[in-house]
Amino acid sequence: MMAFSMKLPFVDVVCSNSLKNTFVNGKKLGYEFQIRLSNYRGHYLSCINEFRVVVDGKEIDSADLTFYLNEKEFTVAQLPYLISEFWNIIDPATIKVFAPGGLQEGEHQIDITLILRIPYLPTPGSMKEHDYALLDSCGSKRLTLQI
Amino acid sequence: MNNIKLGVSLYCFTNEYIKGQLTLEECIRTAAEFGAEGFELVGTQMLRSYPYATNKVIDEINAICNEYGVQFISYGANTDRGMRSDRDLTEEEMLQSAILDLRTASKLGCKYVRVQYLLSPQSLGKLAPYAESYGVKVGVEIHNPETPTTPVMQKYLEVIEKSGSKYIGFVPDFGCFATRPNKPHWDEALANGAPLHLLEMAAKLRYDGVPMGEARQRLLEAGANEAVLGAFQGMYGFVTFYREPDFEGLKKIMPYVIYFHGKFHHVNEELEEASIPYEQILNIIKDSDFNGYIMSEYEDHTSGKALIMTKRHLQMERKILEK
Repeated sequence: MMAFSMKLPFVDVVCSNSLKNTFVNGKKLGYEFQIRLSNYRGHYLSCINEFRVVVDGKEIDSADLTFYLNEKEFTVAQLPYLISEFWNIIDPATIKVFAPGGLQEGEHQIDITLILRIPYLPTPGSMKEHDYALLDSCGSKRLTLQI
Repeated sequence: MNNIKLGVSLYCFTNEYIKGQLTLEECIRTAAEFGAEGFELVGTQMLRSYPYATNKVIDEINAICNEYGVQFISYGANTDRGMRSDRDLTEEEMLQSAILDLRTASKLGCKYVRVQYLLSPQSLGKLAPYAESYGVKVGVEIHNPETPTTPVMQKYLEVIEKSGSKYIGFVPDFGCFATRPNKPHWDEALANGAPLHLLEMAAKLRYDGVPMGEARQRLLEAGANEAVLGAFQGMYGFVTFYREPDFEGLKKIMPYVIYFHGKFHHVNEELEEASIPYEQILNIIKDSDFNGYIMSEYEDHTSGKALIMTKRHLQMERKILEK
């Protein structure tokens, strides 16, 4: 049976005008951009089932990604365990990518896979434990590097 | 003369809040302008310090309430049983979270908390002494397709009656008394290419109580497309409807109602709701000695019409209640 999934596109997942290079010791060491949760309420980060980032057609290794929210920077591997970090529905999270040299000027295609468990909504008709409907908060956008 | 009070759940303004068109303050101000005496806030949606109430947030909300002369009446809590990635929360863990929700609601000055049905009847019973201590009443929501007399709700009723506590009870959502198909879903299905006669067939199957599997099969044989099946799913689920809604069940649980969710999807210019029989429901409430709140709860967020719909909803209620 196909998973039961919902999409509530109130906002763009990839935030406009949010892409910029990041510097360490004066050297370009990567870039960052922001994403929103597209839903009607916030969720604990532990509800994230899938999180992948593709930039200009190339998937970013999760070791080169961090997820910055609530003034804390989390690794991708930590996400399933963050049962007390709440992602408020109006707060953008910042995705930081390690990429020495940063991005070239101009436009870049960002594709985000973001699937969450809806933790109060068991899959309709399912009798299994820990089987929930899914929230599809995936999104894509071409962003221009902010200088 | 009745003493029923009208409130607005800020959930009505979901779309506007998330898109940044209305701030929390503007949501509360709008509710007050429409004539709400009080409001509800869903913690996971609009409480910046969720699941806690920090002093900063408490001060902010109190200042807004004073400014616009409106009360923070009810706190919508969620029962997120699946919040862990590895397993379901245990009963004990869900009970502890619900107690934390009560503390938060109490700090925010609320009178009531709504919990969801994944919190078991036994746990609702265990909440009673905490609810009494914090001075906050807790109600489990009766949401479509549940009605007051479905087996699950009867189990809660047993626990509530046995407890003898005035601090646990029900939050019935008017959606569970719907008598017609959900209008936004119906219109959307038509717009997406559902043939009218197949939607009407789906509605008739539901009215006639044909079991879901069989109904689905008959629709497929008649040539139902995705748009029809989408609407059909709702007709047998969260927006189901009945020829004879469970008014007797409502009368029976009236003594245990903490407050109501006045669900609505579309109120026309003549002040009529498209699928929920407000006149009949409100008359039943009027004939009881209920003197609590009906919280308007709009659900067709993507329409972009939340403001006008919520305004009309309160006008409709006042007209029927002669307020």
